[in-house]
Amino acid sequence: MNILEVKDLRKRFGDNEVLKGIDLSLKKGEVLSIIVSSGGGKTTLLRCLNFLEIANSGMITVNDKTVFAADEGEKPTIASEAQLSFGLVFQQFNLFPQYSVIENLMLAPKLRAKRNKSGMSSAEIEEKAKNLLATVGLSEKANEYPCRLSGGQQQRVAIARALMLSPDILCFDEPTSSLDPELTGEVLRVIRSLKDSERTMIIVTHEMEFARHVSDRIIFIADGVIEEEGTPDEVFGNPQSEKLKAFLSAGQ
Amino acid sequence: MEQFIKISLDLLAGFGETLKIFFVTLAFSLPLGLVIAFGSMSKFKPLSALTRAFVWVIRGTPLMLQLIAVYYGPGLIFGQILLTSVSAVYITFSINYACYFSEIYRGGIESISKGQYEAGQVLGMTKTETFFKVILLQVIKRIIAPMSNEIITLVKDTSLARVVTYYELIYFAQRYIKNAGLLWPLFYTAVYYLVFTALLTFIFGWLEKKLDYFKA
Repeated sequence: MNILEVKDLRKRFGDNEVLKGIDLSLKKGEVLSIIVSSGGGKTTLLRCLNFLEIANSGMITVNDKTVFAADEGEKPTIASEAQLSFGLVFQQFNLFPQYSVIENLMLAPKLRAKRNKSGMSSAEIEEKAKNLLATVGLSEKANEYPCRLSGGQQQRVAIARALMLSPDILCFDEPTSSLDPELTGEVLRVIRSLKDSERTMIIVTHEMEFARHVSDRIIFIADGVIEEEGTPDEVFGNPQSEKLKAFLSAGQ
Repeated sequence: MEQFIKISLDLLAGFGETLKIFFVTLAFSLPLGLVIAFGSMSKFKPLSALTRAFVWVIRGTPLMLQLIAVYYGPGLIFGQILLTSVSAVYITFSINYACYFSEIYRGGIESISKGQYEAGQVLGMTKTETFFKVILLQVIKRIIAPMSNEIITLVKDTSLARVVTYYELIYFAQRYIKNAGLLWPLFYTAVYYLVFTALLTFIFGWLEKKLDYFKA
């Protein structure tokens, strides 16, 4: 069964159509990497999946439940709590600077528990936060503030924070692009360990080597459409389209 | 010496009146400024245009003129004074300072990166939760310096209240010129202002240190 189905997703900014009908599906535990040729819309697909941008038309289904549906020119229907189906790790981490590492993890779940008057108790939330910090190897930094952490550590905290609400699909928006080269390794190792624990993930990345090793499937988007799709070996080993060939050789 | 103490105590009573303007103005203008800031940032164009025009008028005219207009204006139009000088002073000062504060707030709010709002959103927080739990403290940290400037200006602007017969510190001191031929009490008032602004400077410094634990 597919955990995610995206059908004919379109997004325009003014006259500029950035996504021209994207179809994709994802199985539970699958890792999909998206590589995008330069130009607009690099992260628009992820932003549409996370409702930071609202697509003009198309449909998004998670676990057979339609969370987003829109026809051209009409007001989209967005399921309540659709947001929580997806988690997003930003290029710039976006940790909350005034909260310690563990408070960054606990803030949203605590507010949510208060809002719903149910769900996890404070003790459960803290327990989960501690476990996730251990997962990303930062237990000893629980009470530090973000400004005292390296970029790589901040990004690992951001990953743990995104996992606090147990999203069905975890999205990464160029997670290593604002890191110094020597700090990318620790973040990529965390992502790889998540793959080993059957986490469903979508990764927009420039790290071709990493995409090749961590992904089950890769899609290449050019000019707003999926130009090519396949396993890492197919996409990197035997590219079919001219655009992908040009893109890959330019990176050499 | 006895006279010095007597005059000091008398001026202290005058300074009490000054402090009333100061604290009442702050109590109203700090929250009102936030409302005006949201008005001027509104996506509803007529509202933001109207708010910005209002801020322009208030910031573009002298506070003294505004005091006179609010206190004497109704008298000129309706033939009778509607407000006591105390309420005219409180209203004018509160609105005037709210406009200045609103621009400081707006600058602070707009300087927070979009990513902070987006992080709140993708974590399922509501807009209100994101503003009060994430954005606000970062804004406060960023606006301490311009706010302390404005608040220290307020301490001294209170002396304008006497044009609408509000009896504050300067008024108290000027009486000694007229009634006793003494000039020094007027200059002596500077000590009261200086001591109070020193206290404020200390408080803002303390607050700045208190928020030093994070970078924003």
